[in-house]
Amino acid sequence: MPQDVSEPVLRAEGLTKRYDRHTALTDCDLTIPRGRVIGLVGPNGAGKSTLLQLACGLIAPTSGTLRVLGAPPAADAAHLARVGFVAQDTPVYGSFTVAEHLRMGARLNPTWDGSLADRRIAQVGLDPAQKAGGLSGGQRAQLALTMAAAKRPELLIFDEPAAALDPLARNGFLRNLMEFVSELEASAILSSHLLGDVELVCDHLIVLCASRVQIAGDVADLLADHHRLVAPRGALDQRPPGLDVIGIEHTDRYSRAVVRAPRLRPETAWTVEPVRLEELVLAYMSRAAGMPAGRTVTAAGEVVR
Amino acid sequence: MIWMSLRQFRAPALVGVAALALLTAYLLHLGLDIRQARDGYLAQCRPQGDCTRALAQFAADYENLLLFLAALLGLVPAVVGMFWGAPLIARELEAGTHRLVWNQSVTRRRWLLVKLLVVGVGSMTAAGVASLLLTWAASPVDAVADARFSTVVFGARNIAPIAYAAFAFVFGAVVGLLTRRTLPAMAMTVLAILVVQFAVPNLVRPHLMPPVTVDRAMTEDAINEARALGSITNGATVRGITVRDAWVTDVSDLRTRAGRTLDSRTFNDCLSAPDDPAVPASGRFGAAARCLGDLDLHVEITYQPHRRYWPFQFLESGLYLLAAGLLTLFGLWRIQRRIT
Repeated sequence: MPQDVSEPVLRAEGLTKRYDRHTALTDCDLTIPRGRVIGLVGPNGAGKSTLLQLACGLIAPTSGTLRVLGAPPAADAAHLARVGFVAQDTPVYGSFTVAEHLRMGARLNPTWDGSLADRRIAQVGLDPAQKAGGLSGGQRAQLALTMAAAKRPELLIFDEPAAALDPLARNGFLRNLMEFVSELEASAILSSHLLGDVELVCDHLIVLCASRVQIAGDVADLLADHHRLVAPRGALDQRPPGLDVIGIEHTDRYSRAVVRAPRLRPETAWTVEPVRLEELVLAYMSRAAGMPAGRTVTAAGEVVR
Repeated sequence: MIWMSLRQFRAPALVGVAALALLTAYLLHLGLDIRQARDGYLAQCRPQGDCTRALAQFAADYENLLLFLAALLGLVPAVVGMFWGAPLIARELEAGTHRLVWNQSVTRRRWLLVKLLVVGVGSMTAAGVASLLLTWAASPVDAVADARFSTVVFGARNIAPIAYAAFAFVFGAVVGLLTRRTLPAMAMTVLAILVVQFAVPNLVRPHLMPPVTVDRAMTEDAINEARALGSITNGATVRGITVRDAWVTDVSDLRTRAGRTLDSRTFNDCLSAPDDPAVPASGRFGAAARCLGDLDLHVEITYQPHRRYWPFQFLESGLYLLAAGLLTLFGLWRIQRRIT
C-alpha cells in the first residue's frame, strides 16, 4: 500500500461549503498530523458533519482545497480503501443479514480483513443470521463500525458514532472503538456535540462553531497554552500583549478569564491555574456563539448583565 | 460489486420471475392452441381448394386476444422502469445507504455502472423472453393478418421490446438519481415511459427511413376501397387507403388535377349527390364515390414497404438503446458531481 507518511492525515485550505441558503463551513484551514485520534466538537449545526462528509468525499467543497492522506477525498478506489467512514445514523441495508454485510465488505474491499470482522461481530454479540433491519441503534452502530474497520483503513472517520447509544453504552462503545483504532494503527477522527465523548479518547481536538474552526491542536499543547487567570478587576481590560482572552467573567473585585498565552508571564497580582479541557472548549464555543464576554457576577453570585 | 447488485436485485427479480413464469406458461399454451386452430381450419378448407376465407376467419378469431396481449407487453417497459429502475438509486439515497456503500473501495461510477448493467440485463432478458414467446405464439396469425407495422403489434414482437425495456429501466434509474425520492421517481417514470411509447410510434417511427410516396388517381373504384370519407374538420379527405404490402403513414387531402386541395363545398356537394336511378351506383360510398370519381382527383400516399420491417426493428431498437446509453453516461456524470 502506498504510504506517504510525511503527508498529513488531512489538510484543508480555505475550505468552504455552502448549501442553498446557509454556509455550513467557512474558510476552514486545518492540518492534522498522522497517528492521532482527533476529536471534532461543536454544537449541533456547527458544520461537523459537513467537514467529515467532505473528508470522505461524500460531498464536494464549494471552494478551497482539501487533501486527505495526500490525495483529494475519494480520489479513486485505492484511496477509498484507505479511508473508513461511519455516517451519522450508521446506515445499513435493512434486508441484508449481518453476515451478508460482511460478505459485501469482503466483495467490495480488496483490503478486507475477514477474521477481524468475524471476531468483532462475535465480540459484540451480533448474530450473523440476523437481518440488519431488526438491529437496535447500538447494534447497528457496531455493525457499521465493523464494516469501516475491517477494510483496515489508514484513517477512520466517525460522525457522531455514539449518538445512537444510551449513556451507559457510550463509554464502553467508545473505549472499544479506540482499542480498535490502536489495533489498526490508524488515525481516527470522531465528532460529537458532547465533549465528554471525545475527551476520554482523543489526543487532538478541533473545536468547530458557527461554521468556523475556533481552535485546533494536540490536547497536551492546548492545555499547555491555555490558562485560567484570576486577576484584579480591570487588569485585563487593556489586553496585555501575548495574551488572548477567550472568555472572561467578572465578579466585584476579580476577573476570571480563560486565556491563550503560549508564553505567559504572569504579573504578581494574578493567580494562574491550569485550565480544564471542558472549560477551554466552552470558552471557545461561547465566544463563537457571541455570548457576552463580560458577564458580571456580583458578590452574592447573581449574574448581572 | 456484481454479487452486491444481484443480492439487492433478488427480491424484485423473484417477483419478475414469478410473473414471467405465469406468462410463459400461458403463451406456450396459447401458441399450441393457435396452431391447433389453424390446422383445424386448413383441414376443413383444403378439400375446397381455397383457404383464403378460412384463414381470414382464423386470424379474426385471435385478433383481439393478441392485441390485448401486445398491449400488455407494451406495459412491460413502464413496469420495469417503475419497479426496477426508479428505486435502484432513489431507495439508496432515501435510506442513506449510499453513505455506506460509497465508502467501500468501489468508486461511485463503477457502483452505478455495475448496478445498471446487472439489473438492465435482467430487464432486457425479461422483456426479451416475453416478446419472443408472444412472437412465436402469434406467428401463425401474424402470417395471415400481416399487420406487422401496426402500432401495437410492431412494439410487441421480436427485438424492439428488449430495447424499450433497457431504455425504460435506465430512464427510471436516472429519474431516481435526480429526484432522490422513490415514489415521485416511480410516478414520473411510468408517466414518461407511457408518453414516449405513445409518441414514438406516431411521431418518430414513420420517419425512421425516408418513406416512399406514390400518387394515386382516385377513381370511383379507388374511393370505394377507402374506409371513410371526410373528417371532423370537414376537409376533403379519404381515410383508410391501403397499399399492398406496405404501412401507409400518411395520405394527403383529395387534390384536383391542378394539384390544389379540393374545396370543401364541392366535396360536400358530392357527399350529398343524388343517385342516378337509371344506373344506381354500387360500392361502399355509392353516388358520392361516383361524383368524386368524375372530378379526376388524386391523393399522395406516403408509405413504408413491409420489406423494411427488420430494418425498422433494428433502427428503432438502436434508437432506444442509444437513448439508454446516453442516459447512462448522464447518470455516471451526475453521480460524481452532485451528492447529498
